[in-house]
Amino acid sequence: MRTKLLTLLLLVSVLVTGCATATTQAPATEAPVVPTEVVATEEPVVLTEVPPTEVPPTEPPPAEPVTLKIYLLDYTPDTITWLKEEINPAFEAAHPGTTVEITEGSWSGWDTTFAGFFAAGEGPDIINLGSEMNTLYGPSLADMDPYLAEAAWPDIVNFGPALENAKYEGKLRGLPIFTAPRYVFCRSDLAVGTLPPMSFADWVTFAKENTIIDPDTNSLTQQALVPVDALSMADWQWWLLVYYSIGGTLYKADGTPNFDSPEALATTQFMLDMRQATYGPATDAVGGLPTGQGSVIDVNDETNANNGAVCLAHSGWAAPAFDRPVWENISIEPFYGDSENFPNSKPVVLAFNDWLAVADYSPNKELAAEWLKVAFTKEANHKWNETMSLIPSRNDAQYGYVTDSPQLKLEAELASQYGVGFAGIAEAAKLSTIMQEALGKLITEELTPEDVITQIQEQYSAALGK
Amino acid sequence: MSQNPYIDVLINTILTVLFIIIASFGLGTLARTIAKWVGASKRKQENTFAGYLFAAPWIVGFLIFVVIPLGYSLYWSFTDYRVTDNAPPNWIGLSNYAQLINDAGFRSSIVNTLFLTAVGLPLMIGLALFLAVLLNQKTRGEHIFRMAFYLPVILGFNTAVLLSWRLMLNTGTGIINQLIRAFSNAFPPFSYLNRAVIFVQEIISALFLGISSGKFNLLNRVWDAGLPAANRVPMWVESPLWTKMSVIMLMAWGCGAMMLIFLAGLNNIPRELHDAADVDGANGWQHFWKISFPLLTPYVFYNLIVGMIACLQIFEPIYVLYRDNQPLVPSAISMVYYLWQTSFRNFEIGYGSAISWLILFMILTVTAIQFMIQKRWVNYELY
Repeated sequence: MRTKLLTLLLLVSVLVTGCATATTQAPATEAPVVPTEVVATEEPVVLTEVPPTEVPPTEPPPAEPVTLKIYLLDYTPDTITWLKEEINPAFEAAHPGTTVEITEGSWSGWDTTFAGFFAAGEGPDIINLGSEMNTLYGPSLADMDPYLAEAAWPDIVNFGPALENAKYEGKLRGLPIFTAPRYVFCRSDLAVGTLPPMSFADWVTFAKENTIIDPDTNSLTQQALVPVDALSMADWQWWLLVYYSIGGTLYKADGTPNFDSPEALATTQFMLDMRQATYGPATDAVGGLPTGQGSVIDVNDETNANNGAVCLAHSGWAAPAFDRPVWENISIEPFYGDSENFPNSKPVVLAFNDWLAVADYSPNKELAAEWLKVAFTKEANHKWNETMSLIPSRNDAQYGYVTDSPQLKLEAELASQYGVGFAGIAEAAKLSTIMQEALGKLITEELTPEDVITQIQEQYSAALGK
Repeated sequence: MSQNPYIDVLINTILTVLFIIIASFGLGTLARTIAKWVGASKRKQENTFAGYLFAAPWIVGFLIFVVIPLGYSLYWSFTDYRVTDNAPPNWIGLSNYAQLINDAGFRSSIVNTLFLTAVGLPLMIGLALFLAVLLNQKTRGEHIFRMAFYLPVILGFNTAVLLSWRLMLNTGTGIINQLIRAFSNAFPPFSYLNRAVIFVQEIISALFLGISSGKFNLLNRVWDAGLPAANRVPMWVESPLWTKMSVIMLMAWGCGAMMLIFLAGLNNIPRELHDAADVDGANGWQHFWKISFPLLTPYVFYNLIVGMIACLQIFEPIYVLYRDNQPLVPSAISMVYYLWQTSFRNFEIGYGSAISWLILFMILTVTAIQFMIQKRWVNYELY
């Protein structure tokens, strides 16, 4: 009995495996999305050996069903609904047999998920990346120039500077969705002194005059400037913004890091001066602003109290909603650097963006490019960003809600005028870790500014193998 | 596979089930054949077949999901393998292990992990034992208390828990510091105690940070500043001097599992022993130290082993508290956090694998030492 059962199981498994193998092999020979390089390696001799009379003229075979998988991170329900109800059905109608599948992930833990995709060499065809990730993932992303460069898709010329963030080694790897620069928002009704501060010294004076510490709780109740990380005031992205504003560059002409430059030292000293002008010496152990709801530069509707910030150096999404009354008193400026001490200073808004990249392991690169073309038309790019009140990456998509809103219009103008990209950073993840560690020790006065830049220069050089 | 995802899933499921069945029969047959070779009786051979047949699904899963990845990890630890490079692993021998010796970041993570283990684990065990003794009394609502203290184990470290802790630990408005301020205002001696505790804690933290970085100027600054001002409160999630203490608080909050083990142990102690002690006039303190605690030592040992392994692998509380506050990460970074950072932020899988094997070796060593020492203090008389 047992032998019969075993034989039966064996037969069934062989049959099922056989069927599965057959279905696996079929698309490889027939699917229209076979990479061109595979075709290129085939010997032409093989083609001549096939007698032409053996292949009867038939109707082209129906397209094999294909699922195009897209992995998006933290988009609003409105955006996802729009993609699922408008973009995907339109694409599926134009590509019979194709199903578009959107998976929603989160920026929290994305790196672990993506590492799994690349390690397995299998996963979504299109993935959602951030600005600096082009260098990190570049070798594993598909060269999309054959599908998206100007020769293949003339619309590409309409994309603004954010397009650079979607390239690796000069070749397109995907398309940018939006640009989200970091501005300096300031409350003119709260500020003591001239706005905006135009030099490092002005900013330090401003920080001293506009910060309030409650002696009972030994904590801030008002913070003159809230940068990306309000507590440390020494986040690496904030450091880079300040550094770029005084003309600093990350690399020297020979490609080695440039953290031993006078600009790097001045930026680090500025971080420390601002932190001390706000929180006092580290041993004073002053606490940060209370954790609250809404933008830190807004007013609480219930208590009518201010949320604590006089100025906010952050992306637009950290500012109040555009219909809030507080906007009457909020100015939007770039960061002006320190022209008193550094003649190469220039106003800077650090431009971040999200972009969609096509993974190199994807067997559906051409199809992915087609989907991107549908989702990144002028109208679609406009609509996508309208659902999030962000600035579209396509210049010609910046109309309607962008120009109707005085804030967004000004933000778009500042971005095009003073935008500096946040991409092309070699070993960005390692640099982030190296800088955060050193800057964390700066604010506790464990390291001096000189020690900090020396440490960053040494460790980053080692990370780059320089 | 076919391009229809539903058929794919169905085929995969059928294939998986068939694979498990065939592998189970194969393993059972292999075991029976070996039993036959060693001269086992017919009945023994059948029993061996049946035993391995039923254990096989787990064994197969263990082989596929543990042993094979373990083998890959060991191999990768000798290679330069970066998952985003789109290139195969490159054999580099012992270079990863050699690099670890000089890696200041990894050294720092070892120091932090030792701090968390040395301070956090005794605190967890002590608190769990204290709660177990309290809950072992017949009181009204004891089941509610047991559930309440065990709840953190079930809740884990999700977003809601993270937000709650961040709000509670806020320096200015958090409930924990509000209570400290209220007590300090109501009872002035408490204020002095609070300041002294802050001073001692910050000195110890600054010392450990100094050991990690090799520079002790922070320790000198804290020492020179002296006793903190009267309005000082702990800077829980705002200062590198307090990051590890905040993690320890979260560890202690999750001591419910240890508490349950102790409760089971307390219930196993025969009532007659306490009755006899009552006859001899023993007080509560003597009951605990002369009867309960010695007989609880196997449970203490179990919690120590499990707790030590968990502490040496600590990751979640640090990730939960500081992932959005990167400048504070280096002051609290543990070995496993460093491993995660290397493997999943820098994508250096080869180097990360070497770290994981080193951590495994350290845990095995510490556990082996504990087993050797336990003979001197664990009392198995009751068991």
